[in-house]
Amino acid sequence: MLACTLGSRAGRIMARERWGSRLGVIMAVAGSAVGLGNFLRFPVQAAQNGGGAFLIPYFVALFLLGLPLMWIEWTIGRFGGGFGHSTAPGMFHTLWNKNRFIKYFGVIGIFGPVVIYIYYVYIESWLLGYSWFAATGQYNGCTTQESMKAFLQGYQGVVRNEYFAGLGPAYLFFLVTFALNTVIVYFGIQKGIETLCKYGLPVLFALAVVLAVRVLTLGTPDPARPDWNVLGGMGFLWNPQWEALVTRWSLPVGDSPCYIWVPNAKVWLAAAGQIFFTLSVGMGVILTYTSYLTRKDDVALSGLTAASTNELVEVILGGSIVIPAAFAFFGPQGTAEIAQGGAFNLGFVTMPLVLQQFTFGNFFGVAWFALLFIAGITSSVSMVQPAIAFLEDEFGLSKKEATLLFAVNSFVLCHAAILFLANGAVDELDFWGGTFCLVVFAAVETILFGWVFGMDAAWTELHAGSDITIPRIYRFIIKYVTPAFLLVILGFWMVQDAVPILLMEKVAPENVPHVLGTRIMLLALFADLALLVWIAWRRRRAAEVLP
Amino acid sequence: MTLGGWIFLAASWSLILGLFIFSMVRTLRAKDDKQG
Repeated sequence: MLACTLGSRAGRIMARERWGSRLGVIMAVAGSAVGLGNFLRFPVQAAQNGGGAFLIPYFVALFLLGLPLMWIEWTIGRFGGGFGHSTAPGMFHTLWNKNRFIKYFGVIGIFGPVVIYIYYVYIESWLLGYSWFAATGQYNGCTTQESMKAFLQGYQGVVRNEYFAGLGPAYLFFLVTFALNTVIVYFGIQKGIETLCKYGLPVLFALAVVLAVRVLTLGTPDPARPDWNVLGGMGFLWNPQWEALVTRWSLPVGDSPCYIWVPNAKVWLAAAGQIFFTLSVGMGVILTYTSYLTRKDDVALSGLTAASTNELVEVILGGSIVIPAAFAFFGPQGTAEIAQGGAFNLGFVTMPLVLQQFTFGNFFGVAWFALLFIAGITSSVSMVQPAIAFLEDEFGLSKKEATLLFAVNSFVLCHAAILFLANGAVDELDFWGGTFCLVVFAAVETILFGWVFGMDAAWTELHAGSDITIPRIYRFIIKYVTPAFLLVILGFWMVQDAVPILLMEKVAPENVPHVLGTRIMLLALFADLALLVWIAWRRRRAAEVLP
Repeated sequence: MTLGGWIFLAASWSLILGLFIFSMVRTLRAKDDKQG
């Protein structure tokens, strides 16, 4: 029986899915990382947090947090895949097999992506809907911020207005988007996800270049307002505001005031947060993707290439579209207000208004929303994969069974985001799945990698099959600096965000039942996944012990 | 756009383009070596 069990496990490891090419896995990880945040979140964060000066903490976070986490996740993923595990519970257990609780921390690596998927796929479906509306000129009658906001709210089902009588169109596009995601994942790693990313990313790149070139050649659209021009827009994003990086503290020393300059925690945390979101680290999806590599495959150079591809799209292309375009049409004051309104406002309200004013406005509208939709779907399929891989690996389900089981459950869960969007359900899901879990998971995996697995073994594993040698300073950074950086972020988030959110300080009284309901759903989901891990390990122990 | 803005833009773009070109060229070359 033991031989049979081990034999079947070894057989499963041998028969695991594999990537078709090295570029395929890099494109898939880059596709997972390149998302809406590259085009909407980054420029808003930069404009609000010091302009060009924001790039200083941003690059510090990239080199001390982003790249180390990328390498950690690529290495743990490939290592765990060698033992037949595609998800964090099995990988964490393999790294620290003397600790029987560590696999439950790994549950976050499945739970987080599922929670993000629940609302992300719905937002992604808006992009498909808006691509259609741009092609058919359906929002062309909206010429002000107010009317475009009303169009969006009508589409979301938040209000009934002259544009939409209900949630029907949004639900239809949601069904199409959900089905697309399910089909792609069903086709598997190579035929589904790799094919999507190998063709999708170049198309995304081409669309972004077309839009960036068009925006950068806008000049001064309104001669009556010569200051509202693209160069001014680039300045709005890039001119350094040094005062944003540091804060002056006064010290009570003697009679005369004494001042010291200290880093402004808000800006440094914003930069670290942006690096986290943009690279898709701390989610568990990179672990799953890289588990389909073999030990002779490189991870050091591939991780760097995936990260640099994402950075290219974010800083160079993402920084050259929305803010310069908004500035050229709405001026400095208008752009500042738009940036304060957040990323969704910029993407779904401001950009359609701006693009309508271009020659061939409908074409550029389709290009904009298609670009975001491709960025969205290459990310959302990566969120589905950990749950499906877990069911396949730990319960021996076929791809068809695992996909069907996941699709049915996630379809039900998505309705929390669809029906209770206006009641704060998406914000709640985003906080726990898209913020809190990321930092906790990254902190756990970093400590496991550098301290439990041990830096010597970790360094050897990272360089197995490697095409580059990572500078030795990263031994020190991975062991000490990255975990310390993460713990500081975690501490600040607990104080600044977690406590007020946990106590629902900003939730309107009428929305409290919806937020509580969302929390109960999330707790039940986490408990379910933890129970599945417990059952899987119990079954495995029984199979290994029984004669 | 001020001189500082241009400097930050040029420095950031150069760093990212350099990182991207270095890693992508090495990746494609390594892929060719392995295939060859």
